Amino acid sequence: MTGNGTGQMQDQLALRSRLSDMTQLSPWIESLATRHAIPGNVQFAIELCLEEVVSNVIRHGYAGAEDCSVLVSFAMPRESYFEFVVDDEAQPFNPLEAPELGALSPDEETRVGGQGIRLVRQFADAVEYQPKASGNRLSMGFSAAK
Amino acid sequence: MRVILDGKLDIEGAAAIDLKMNIIAGSRKAVLVDMRNVSFLGSMGLRALVAPARAIKGRGGKIVLFAPNEMVEKVLKTSGTDTLIPVHHELQSALDALQLT
Repeated sequence: MTGNGTGQMQDQLALRSRLSDMTQLSPWIESLATRHAIPGNVQFAIELCLEEVVSNVIRHGYAGAEDCSVLVSFAMPRESYFEFVVDDEAQPFNPLEAPELGALSPDEETRVGGQGIRLVRQFADAVEYQPKASGNRLSMGFSAAK
Repeated sequence: MRVILDGKLDIEGAAAIDLKMNIIAGSRKAVLVDMRNVSFLGSMGLRALVAPARAIKGRGGKIVLFAPNEMVEKVLKTSGTDTLIPVHHELQSALDALQLT
């Protein structure tokens, strides 16, 4: 962790592009939640969105390549507001422009997934995509002041 | 059959139940999944519920979810999973819903 005080608070988790590395996400988020008094429902939303975004980068962005970088950064730009940024070096992909699949329905006989973007849009208070010279940056904000 | 899930259905939790849920889905026609002790449900966890649910229903069976917490239920509703696997908060209504006609 670097810095002290709300505006300067930052923490990072560096992962490799392996699904097994994702087991580091949950304890990292729990540690942040303890240190910054993140309420339980907000912690739930953060974990849901990060699991979805990071697994998408690993499975689709890097398409199975196992030694690429996924960097997750945490910042608290103001009180009761928690920002997470996911940086990768994968092919350009803006998930916010990807067509959102409809909710699951009993009429479909096969589909089991495709809910990721829908969940992120519902559970994060702000989502922003930025293309990088080499890769992608997705920022998500979560407010405890609701 | 009553399946009691416990803990987090994240990527790790989903992997832990995947095989068992698929075995149950292949052999049972009435399944109550007790969600009272599930503290987290992510999209991988959803898959671990939806795939066996479709298999059970495809064989003419029924499956219900019992008593998820508020945030878990929000995930179920946002994803539309509750339209595929009904959610019940009363045990008797969950059991009644499993009656095979």
